[in-house]
Order: sequence, then C-alpha cells, then structure tokens
Amino acid sequence: MTDQTLTDTTGNADTMGYWQKVARDGPRMGFWFVLPTLLLLLFIVVFPLLMQLYLSFTWWTPLEGIPWYQAWEVFNWGENYWFMITDPRFWGALWRTVLIMIVAVPAQFFLGMALAYLFIDKFPGRKIFYSIMLTPMMIVPAVVGLMFFLLFQGTGPVNDHLGLPAEFSWLTDVNRAMISVIIADIWQWTPLMFLILLAGMLGVPSDQLLAAKLLGGSNWQNFVKIILPRMKTVIIIALVLRAVECFKIFDLVFIMTKGGPGVQTETISVFLYKQTFGDLEWAYVATIGLSILIALSILAVKGLSYMAKK
Amino acid sequence: MSSIQIQNVTKRFGDFTAVDNISIDIEEGEFVALLGPSGCGKTTTMNMIAGLEDATEGAILFDNQDLGHVRMQDRNIGFVFQNYAIFTHLSVYKNLSYGLEVKKVGKSEIERRVKAMADRMSISHRLDQPASSLSVNEMQKLAIGRSAIVEPRIFLLDEPLSNLDAGFRAYMRAELKVLQHEFGQTMIYVTHDQIEAMSLADKIAIIDQGKLMQYGAPLDIYNDPQNRFVANFVGSPRMNLVDGELREEQGALRLMLHGGAEIRLDGQVKTAFTSDAKVHSGSFGIRPQDIYFGEKRADNDIRMQGKVEVLERVGPKRLAYLQVQETMFLAFDDQAQLRVGDDVPFYLPSGASMAFDLESGRRLGGQ
Ligand SMILES: Nc1ncnc2c1ncn2[C@@H]1O[C@H](COP(=O)(O)OP(=O)(O)O)[C@@H](O)[C@H]1O
Ligand SMILES: [Mg+2]
Repeated sequence: MTDQTLTDTTGNADTMGYWQKVARDGPRMGFWFVLPTLLLLLFIVVFPLLMQLYLSFTWWTPLEGIPWYQAWEVFNWGENYWFMITDPRFWGALWRTVLIMIVAVPAQFFLGMALAYLFIDKFPGRKIFYSIMLTPMMIVPAVVGLMFFLLFQGTGPVNDHLGLPAEFSWLTDVNRAMISVIIADIWQWTPLMFLILLAGMLGVPSDQLLAAKLLGGSNWQNFVKIILPRMKTVIIIALVLRAVECFKIFDLVFIMTKGGPGVQTETISVFLYKQTFGDLEWAYVATIGLSILIALSILAVKGLSYMAKK
Repeated sequence: MSSIQIQNVTKRFGDFTAVDNISIDIEEGEFVALLGPSGCGKTTTMNMIAGLEDATEGAILFDNQDLGHVRMQDRNIGFVFQNYAIFTHLSVYKNLSYGLEVKKVGKSEIERRVKAMADRMSISHRLDQPASSLSVNEMQKLAIGRSAIVEPRIFLLDEPLSNLDAGFRAYMRAELKVLQHEFGQTMIYVTHDQIEAMSLADKIAIIDQGKLMQYGAPLDIYNDPQNRFVANFVGSPRMNLVDGELREEQGALRLMLHGGAEIRLDGQVKTAFTSDAKVHSGSFGIRPQDIYFGEKRADNDIRMQGKVEVLERVGPKRLAYLQVQETMFLAFDDQAQLRVGDDVPFYLPSGASMAFDLESGRRLGGQ
C-alpha cells in the first residue's frame, strides 16, 4: 500500500504527504534528539491524566484502605459525574469563577488597552512608569491576597479613605467579598494584559499610523481601523490566557476570604482544595478537575482556532 | 494647492544638527526636488514640512500661514512614505477609501472616487484583493493614489522610486511628471538620484550635511553651480574637478595640481581665479562634454596633454579616461579617433571652465 502510493507520486516531493516523506527519508535527525524529552513529557503529562480518569470512575478515597491502583474494586460507573452535575456547590463555585472571569478579564482588558495606548508615545518618565506599572504582576499572588486582606479590613485604609465605619465590612459581606476579590484580581493582572497588549500595539508599524493620521483619521478612527485589527491575534491570546487563568484563582481568595462568607467567594480551585484536604473526596476531585480541564481545552482551542482562521 | 515657505529651519537631535538653517520658497503648483546624498537630512526636512517632527528653530508657512498649532490630521498633507506604509491588513479598496471614510464622505461618492483613482493608477483589477498581495510596483501606485484621492494641499514624496526595479522606475518617473501635471499640485519630492531630480523637478534644492547648497531650476544648477559640492553632485558623468595650488609667475597663473600636473590658466577662468586675492588653493572644474580634441578652437582655451587609459562606451559615444601625471580627466571622444595608449593633446575651453575656492568650496567669479 505504501509502496503503491510512493510509486504513484513518483517521488514528487510537493505532492507527497508528510508521512510519505518520512517513509522515504526516514525520520529527521532532530526526532532522535527530542525523543527522550518527548517520552518524559508523555509520562509526566499523560500518566497523571490517565490516573485521574481512572480514579474518577471509582469511589476511592485515601480512607478506603486500598492503594489507588486497586480502586477498581470500588468502581462506580460514572456516578461521580452524575453527582457533579447535580452538586449545587460545584455549580456555585463554577458560576463564581465564571463571574470573576466575565468581570475581571474585560476590566483588565480595557484598562490594559488604555494604558498600552498611553505608552506607545514617548513621554518623560515613561520607563519609570512602565516599571511601576508592571510591579503588581511580579508580586506573589499570596502576598497580593494579604495586601488586599489588610486593605479591606473594617478598620483598614479603604474604609478609612472612604470615610466608612469599621462595621462596613468587605470581606465578610455576602456581596462585597466578591467585589473585593475581583478588585484584587484586576489590580494584580491588569499589568499582564497591559504588557501583552503594549507588545502587540508596538508591533503596529508606526509609519502606517502616521500615514493614517496624515490621511485625516482621528486618533479614535485610526485606533479602531488600524491598530485594533492588527492586534487581533494578540488580543485573542491575551483574553484566552487570562480567561483560563481565572480558573486557577486560588491564593487571592484563600487568603482574603477563605472562600467565605459561607461559600460566597468559593471558586473552583478553592472548592477543589476543600474537597481534597477537608473532605478527602479525591475521586470526586479528579472528576471535577478532569471535567474542567476538558471544558477549558475546548474553550481555548475554539478561541485559538478562531484566531487562526483570521 | 499651497505655496510653502521654509524659513531658516534647523533641526537638532541632541548635539547633532540634521538640518541646518535651511530656507526654501516653493510656489503654488511647483514641483520641487530635495536632492542630496543619503543621511543629508532630506527625510527630516520632509517630516518637518508634514508636521511629523517639529523644527528646533525656524518656521514653515503654508500660504503664509503657520500650521504649527494645527493637528497633523487636519493639515491635509499628502505624504508618500519611503516604504509606502500601505495598510497591509486592508484591501486595496479600503486603502484608497481610508482618507475619505474618516472624513465621512458619502458612500456613493467614495465608491466613485475610489474607482476613478484605481483606474487612474491602473490597479482596478486589484481593488478587492488584500493590499499585502500587491507587488512593490503596485504598492507604489496605491500609496500615491491613497494620498492623491483626498486632494491634499501639498504632496510630499520621500524617495518614492528608490525601491523599484529599473524599468518600472523609468516608467514611474514619467508617470509622476504626468500626475503632477494632472493634479496641478504643489509637490515636494525627495531623492538622492540627481538624474531623477533633473528630469522631474521645476526646482531642485541640493542639500549636503543638513545645509542647503543651492536652490534653483535644474538647468541653472547644472550650468551655474554655486559651489564645488553642487558641481560635483550634479551631472552625469560627473564634472572633472581637479584641485591644486595657485601659483603666479611673470604674469602667468598656473594651478599646480596635487597629482603633479599643472593647468596654465587663461581667459575667463583665469579671471575667476584671480577675482579673490585671498584664495591660494583652488579647484578647477570642467564637464566631460566640454573637453575637445583636435584643433584648438579659441585662443584662450587651455591645452593639456594626456594618455588615454581607458575608453568606455556610454550610449553612442565613448568616454575617454585621460591620465595627466597622477590626475585623471574624463572626456567624450568627440572625433571617435582615440585609441587606448595614445598620448594626445586635449583642450579645456576657458569659457566652460569653473573656478572654486578649495577651502570653502565657493564658486569664484561666477555670473
Ligand atoms: N530621530 C532621530 N534621532 C537622531 N538622529 C536622527 C534622527 N532622525 C534622523 N537622524 C539623523 O539625521 C540625519 C539625516 O537623516 P535623514 O533626514 O533621514 O537623511 P536622508 O533622508 O537625507 O537620508 C542622519 O544622519 C540621521 O542619522
Ligand atoms: Mg531618507
């Protein structure tokens, strides 16, 4: 069969498929160089995934008294998945994560874009402001959590400045706790958005911008018609990156509110943490983790393929 | 359409003076070339006219009006960038329509004008394609069309032809001349190619190291260069310019060339060299086509004797490289009788010769 196709194409490299070429030339030398790393990566990535998949179909917990590889003894035919779909706490955590995403990411995007636009022109002190701008994203998220934990205390600086009484609580209030977390997230991650968008914006050829200006386009018109379309790729990368990262939000929440009051700020990551170390429901955690992974992968691939199409 | 006055404009980048006190008057509808070697400040001058950069000193007036306070987008200046600056993410149509769309011109009006301009620039068949798919030649046309469509008050072109291949460059040169005529637009055109400048422009401003060396009509500049730089820069093949020390003995004035030879000055060029007693070293200039062989034609023409080193075909004529001691003269073999290796007399007509002060480069005794 392979021989047949090879003779059919009479060795014309242009019409040959990739594997036909490999069959003719043998694997490229580089293949042997990356092979060890490839195998290692395969082990590191694929093995835990398979393990997770396996556990998610069982009742297994560390309290079970059997090692994880014998978990088949408590195989439960996907009941974990059913439980997840009907678990209001899961859906609550998911919704709060998505809420943070749909509020914080656009806010970061617009702020980052506006700041980047300011930074494409040279102005005195640009370098210093630039460094200051980037600081928040360099700080360990746990420290940012602590900062905002202190800022939002009843007797803290925020209330002080706003002239609010100490009873006006942020972190223990049903609604304001979420607002505080979102504000902290925006503060920390706007710089990353700014950095990515600025890089994209600086990639827009400056002479094209000048040409657009000389043709009479206002700053806004040129921004919409020249800068934005040219930044499409960068914008999608930035949005997908930040959207996916929202699902990882943990340190901020854990330090500021521990997911509270109640479960009012419990995000997916915090929820998983509690399930893992509080309730020791490891099989259930595996189920949720895997589901989220699949959902996010679809989201990311969709976003990126949309980008590839353009 | 506008007149432009560039008044004592200087541009400094830190300590470096890119443009040094340049003044140029451009009349309405004139086609002016800024000519000079690479790095002499042509682009900087253009950028200041367009308002992309501010002059450190001096003013630029449009119709006697300073546009310093007018925003760039309101100046209505057509600018064709050195690398065209085509919007490569847009279609050819959208490129052409950009200047009209941002001014909120009506849709049907835009369509009409885009079609007309595309026809004019013969890129109609490309209208719906992405501009990034155009060839360099087509991009050039698109860049010009995109600026022309908004009917700017002036038209600035920064080395528009330097990226094109030779054939298309010749075509585009003719095309630009026609376009300028059609638009009737004041145009400023930057080039480092003197042939381009000579064949296109109504007036040429020759710039060297940020300084204006001469400003005038091409023929005036050619016939009457005001300094050694201009004499050397304009004309193809280049003018013979030989340097030496002036020596006067028994009423005879000679230029002792640095290569060892000497020129016995006579007639008008002698008068020119003596016009300034302070000048001791000079530069003698004569265009290759003015040198002749055979019989002496005028009394005060200067006789030289040299050996034919090389004969080079230039079109229908031959260019002779004549070696006089260490100095080389270029001359056209007008009689078509020279052979390599010949030791021949040749004549430098005094009336066509030019005298320059070697130190300042200034023309001596010019008209
Ligand atoms: N923004 C700038 N900063 C510093 N030097 C500059 C700048 N722009 C141009 N120059 C210098 O000014 C001189 C003239 O440049 P330019 O006007 O581009 O020359 P041309 O267009 O005649 O080749 C060059 O020596 C160049 O290095
Ligand atoms: Mg230039």
